Amino acid sequence: MADQVQQAPVVAPARSAASTRAAPLEIARRVGLPAVLLVVLVVLSFVLPTARLLVLQNVLVLSLFAVATNLLLGYGGLVSFGQAAFYGLGAYIIGTTWLHYRLPFWIAFVITPFIGAFVALVIGALALRTRRLYFALLTLAFSQLFFTIAEKWYGFTLGDNGIFGPMIPSKLADPQAGFLFVLAVVAVSLLLLWKVVNSPFGLTLRAIRENRERTEALGVNVYWHQLLAFVISGAFCAIAGALFVVHDQSAYPQLLDWTKSGDPVLAAVIGGMYTFLGPALGALIYQYGHDLIVEYISHWQLVLGIVLVLIVLFMPDGVAGLFTVSGWRRAGERVRQLRHWRAKVG
Amino acid sequence: MDVGNIAIQLLSGLTVAGYLFIVSAGLTLAFGAMRLINIAHGSYYMYGAFIVAVIVGSTGAHVDRFWLALIVAALIVAAIGAATDLIVMQRIYNKEHLTQLLATFGLLYVFADVALQIWGGGFRSVRPPGVIAGQVRLGGHSFPAYDFFVMGVAIAVGIAMWLLLQRTRLGWRIRAAVEDPELLSVMGTNVPRLATTVFTLGALLAGLAGAVVAPLISVAPGLDTSILVQAFIVAVIGGLGSIAGAAIGAIIIGLFQALGVLWVPTWSSAFIYIAMIIVLVVRPWGLLGVPER
Repeated sequence: MADQVQQAPVVAPARSAASTRAAPLEIARRVGLPAVLLVVLVVLSFVLPTARLLVLQNVLVLSLFAVATNLLLGYGGLVSFGQAAFYGLGAYIIGTTWLHYRLPFWIAFVITPFIGAFVALVIGALALRTRRLYFALLTLAFSQLFFTIAEKWYGFTLGDNGIFGPMIPSKLADPQAGFLFVLAVVAVSLLLLWKVVNSPFGLTLRAIRENRERTEALGVNVYWHQLLAFVISGAFCAIAGALFVVHDQSAYPQLLDWTKSGDPVLAAVIGGMYTFLGPALGALIYQYGHDLIVEYISHWQLVLGIVLVLIVLFMPDGVAGLFTVSGWRRAGERVRQLRHWRAKVG
Repeated sequence: MDVGNIAIQLLSGLTVAGYLFIVSAGLTLAFGAMRLINIAHGSYYMYGAFIVAVIVGSTGAHVDRFWLALIVAALIVAAIGAATDLIVMQRIYNKEHLTQLLATFGLLYVFADVALQIWGGGFRSVRPPGVIAGQVRLGGHSFPAYDFFVMGVAIAVGIAMWLLLQRTRLGWRIRAAVEDPELLSVMGTNVPRLATTVFTLGALLAGLAGAVVAPLISVAPGLDTSILVQAFIVAVIGGLGSIAGAAIGAIIIGLFQALGVLWVPTWSSAFIYIAMIIVLVVRPWGLLGVPER
């Protein structure tokens, strides 16, 4: 998958050539791998004890959050540090509609992506006027604004305390049912996102990442493409936030904090942002790495920080890069660059 | 709402502007000279505050050491900054912004964990020495003297930065590095060493700001991330890379917050984000910034 992303043609053909003459092995990998993964997860839901199942459920939610964020990060080359705004929004939509209107969960859940998309449209329309670092910081400012609103608008959000209560149907409160529901939603969402990144739109988005000026010169409206990507990402991040509620039955301001926006970015970078499922792999490593380190070493932040610095310096393709030839090649290049740098300085 | 109350709020707004300027100046200097985005900048600020708290002591037993503490804190933090530069930053100066963001984000975590190990999770308070601890009476109202001290330091830093950049050979080189680092290197300047100098100076400023602000706040973990967002907002509003912009941005944010406290106390913390959103939507490169090449 990684090879395909990196070597994508700069100009998007109407239909990607690879899909028309995909080798049997390639088809097996694209259809077989997700299918096996899905079956394994369903089986696990019958086998695992509740506590372990809930951890896995967190991984699924973070996976969706990270893959949706990676639509901007890896495919669009847009560093958003404010995706927690949509994640928190999703959780708060479920929470507030339950608290104030006793709206059934299913209705709230169905409208969540639409509200997420609408809010993303407004934020994106403004934030995409800026570029690169300014874009990262403007998205951060919006998410901090949401954080402040959630924290201070006591009458609607209950402020600091957050909203806690039986906001999901009793059927979903059963751990296994909840897990299977989350799994189903995440699976369908990832399938849709997969369709998006492999559509002509997705290819154009990558072309913009590689060379904005040239793509613009070809007559592509960069602003609208990036805005649509931002809207799609916002909608799916909101779904991830709503799925968080299935486990935690709560919504609180910290879900909107800027360091929360760092989670999906870190998962994407650790797992590999140039592969579709890299961020999901990153989510798995991030969650279990966190749990293991907290249990045995207790210096979670220290380890995470060092790992992050090392990955950025030596493994730009993340862990998923270990499974691809180009990932090894790029890591080798990094090491050579550093040696060269050493020779120059020393 | 009486005039005195407004004056006190404005003064405290300018005090906030004072220390925000000192922090942001370091951030914007590194961006201007090396195009570096440093998420770990707030960590230096937090270290500065903690070092002062340790030297002066929570009980106020060693208040006389305050002046010494300010200098020692700034110097220790500068040394940490120099070490960071040599170990990590030198490898990411020419990388894309995402790489810098993530590497320094990693450093933020490392610094936070180390700080937690050394100083623990509790908060400490610092008492300023007698000379600047009292109240100053002006026009029938009293103002905390320490506020004037913070503003004085900020103004001194501003003047020193201006003199450094405009009147010294080092400043001449830094400005040349902003324009064309390759040409500067061809002319015989060791650009990597220049970067180390600039980065160390930025860390020193952050450490100084933390040291100066220590008596105004409760020194605790979490200072790093909270100041970082504010410092970035200030630097971005002014235009990244512009010291004068950082000064203007700091004053805007300081006064915005002060007025926010006066009019809608509950929502005052939202004001700085709104200010940033408005400025960037109208001027995507900040007030005094130049579009990126």
